[in-house]
Amino acid sequence: MSDSNRAAGDMVPGDGRWWRIGRVAGAALLIVVLLALPLYLPGEWLKVGTWMMTGAVGALGLTLLTGQAGQLSLAHGFFLLVGAVSYAVLSGPAGDPTYIGFGLPPVVGLLGAVLISGLAGAAFAPVSGRLRGIYLGVASLALVFLGFWLGRALPAVAGSTSSGRLPQPFSIFGLSVDVSRQLSSLSVFGVPLGRDERTWYLYLLLTAIAYLLAQGAVSGRPGRAWRAVRDNETAATVLGVSVVRVKAGVFAISSAYAGLAGVMTAWWTGIMKPDESEVAGSYGVTVSIAFLAMIVVGGLGSLPGAVLGAALVFGLPVALPLLTQSASADIGSGTAFSPIVITNFAYGALIVLIILFEPSGMAGLGRRLLGPARART
Amino acid sequence: MLSVRQVSVRYGRSVRALQDVTFEVPDGQIVAVLGSNGAGKSTLLRAISGTLRLHRGALTGGQVVHDGTRIDRMDPAAIVRRGVVQVPEGRQIFTRMTVEENLRAGGLVTPAKRRAAARDRVFALFPQLAERAKQSGAVLSGGEQQMLAIGRALMCEPRVLLLDEPSLGLAPQLVSRIAGIITEINDGGTAVVLVEQNATMALRVAHRAVALEVGELRLSGTADELARSDDVQRLYLGGHAESEAEAAAAAEHRPRRPRLRVWSG
Ligand SMILES: Nc1ncnc2c1ncn2[C@@H]1O[C@H](COP(=O)(O)OP(=O)(O)OP(=O)(O)O)[C@@H](O)[C@H]1O
Ligand SMILES: [Mg+2]
Repeated sequence: MSDSNRAAGDMVPGDGRWWRIGRVAGAALLIVVLLALPLYLPGEWLKVGTWMMTGAVGALGLTLLTGQAGQLSLAHGFFLLVGAVSYAVLSGPAGDPTYIGFGLPPVVGLLGAVLISGLAGAAFAPVSGRLRGIYLGVASLALVFLGFWLGRALPAVAGSTSSGRLPQPFSIFGLSVDVSRQLSSLSVFGVPLGRDERTWYLYLLLTAIAYLLAQGAVSGRPGRAWRAVRDNETAATVLGVSVVRVKAGVFAISSAYAGLAGVMTAWWTGIMKPDESEVAGSYGVTVSIAFLAMIVVGGLGSLPGAVLGAALVFGLPVALPLLTQSASADIGSGTAFSPIVITNFAYGALIVLIILFEPSGMAGLGRRLLGPARART
Repeated sequence: MLSVRQVSVRYGRSVRALQDVTFEVPDGQIVAVLGSNGAGKSTLLRAISGTLRLHRGALTGGQVVHDGTRIDRMDPAAIVRRGVVQVPEGRQIFTRMTVEENLRAGGLVTPAKRRAAARDRVFALFPQLAERAKQSGAVLSGGEQQMLAIGRALMCEPRVLLLDEPSLGLAPQLVSRIAGIITEINDGGTAVVLVEQNATMALRVAHRAVALEVGELRLSGTADELARSDDVQRLYLGGHAESEAEAAAAAEHRPRRPRLRVWSG
């Protein structure tokens, strides 16, 4: 059987010793490169990378829900908001007169935010457990509007729309992320680690943890149950899979991922405030759709695909201005074809091309390219 | 022992699919359920496996009792964990998974320690599945899909197996293979409720049989009794290729059938 016959998102067991060695070597190389990048890249490019990682964490969660379990959600933006607000409140200073805060350590705030987002997703179980596919997608849209309304109704929690509140920068054991390069006492190979470098390593760690947990779930019992429900609910039921519980569970997990991505968004933007409109902004419908675009471009259900898709969809809009700036300063500003517009067109076109020619996305493309290499061993 | 006691089932508000159906499945026996199209055979299996709700149906009366416990209010997953497992009508395999992944999905409720042994038994019972383990479920023939559906249910280590028309659409040769396989499964101690249109085959392998007609139980007794009864002869055996005498003779020979040892874990 050729690999193209495989459904997207199914795990491809690596067979052959060379293939496995190649994989391990590739992973090791990737880790070394990712660890070394901050030593060479300027801060603005590191910010592109951390934004990609933010997208990757959210996309991993959504590809579990949509790719593995076959459930559609447009509420990813809402759970990003839940995560960001929860973090801001849990770790916010306790005595603040305008904003509610509990003054908890950032680690506790981070874990609490992920937990609260997961619980918020679990609370949606009466809907997420019963509805299927596109019906869930439409129903979940309601959450985005709820989040938008709540954010504006509760400025003491979510921050006022005008100024917003400051999310506490991450720190652990007295080691803070928020240190400028000039004052940094931490350095590697003579390169001082400032705010951007430290953020890079923090995000890399969070993304790696998110990835490994997702991988464990996909290749284990939960993943098998998800794919069984996705493929045939009747068959899954008669085999003892509790379809309602599985669907509600994967929705909660996906929400927890979105919550983590929300915290990363708040840190990255450096400010916590609700969106100006339902569609645009950091937590609205556009963001939910951007996450869908990531997992479709990457290949539904594929974890590496979700990361690549995030790099493209979140990466291009922030990377392109840097490129055009260095080339010629006046492109983009004032014209209709700003980098954002260009990248939106680019990934819109890419999605159409992928759906037409390679429905299993970049993951499918990768399998096709690597397929011969694996078969030879 | 599985007992169905005065069970009535309704779909939606108006469709009465079963009325006051009572019968028993003793441990380790095969019970055939005969009946024409729309008689309520599949409905009966759904009532036992707790999956009526998937079809917008509900039990309106009666009980289903397994080993002294009422299971008719239980979640389908809990019923599977008790060892009462259904192979639904129309095979329902996972077409986006390989044969092996289908079987793994079947073993989700089985403890990891016993899963490998269960899979080995399935492969011994269906050597074709072992050969095609890495192939997609979508490329299997109808007969192979039926074997996969049965094999997948066996991964749950059932004590009562509910089979819904396993011979549907299969060539005569394959029908007798399926019959042999059902016997083999039963030899391992698994009780079987066998819903069949092919009454000749069903009465040959079964110990007992019941016949449904428009949602009501019409006949019940040992397979031999039913094979000889005039009603069954006329209604269910007349139209099949094998002659009536042959069917009756086959039913008599049943207790002395050769025993294969594969299914004895
Ligand atoms: N989902 C459903 N909704 C409404 N009515 C149904 C449903 N499923 C079955 N019925 C009705 O219930 C009755 C019994 O159906 P059932 O499927 O149990 O018959 P069956 O004996 O299995 O028939 P067959 O041999 O054709 O499979 C039929 O009259 C059928 O129309
Ligand atoms: Mg039927």
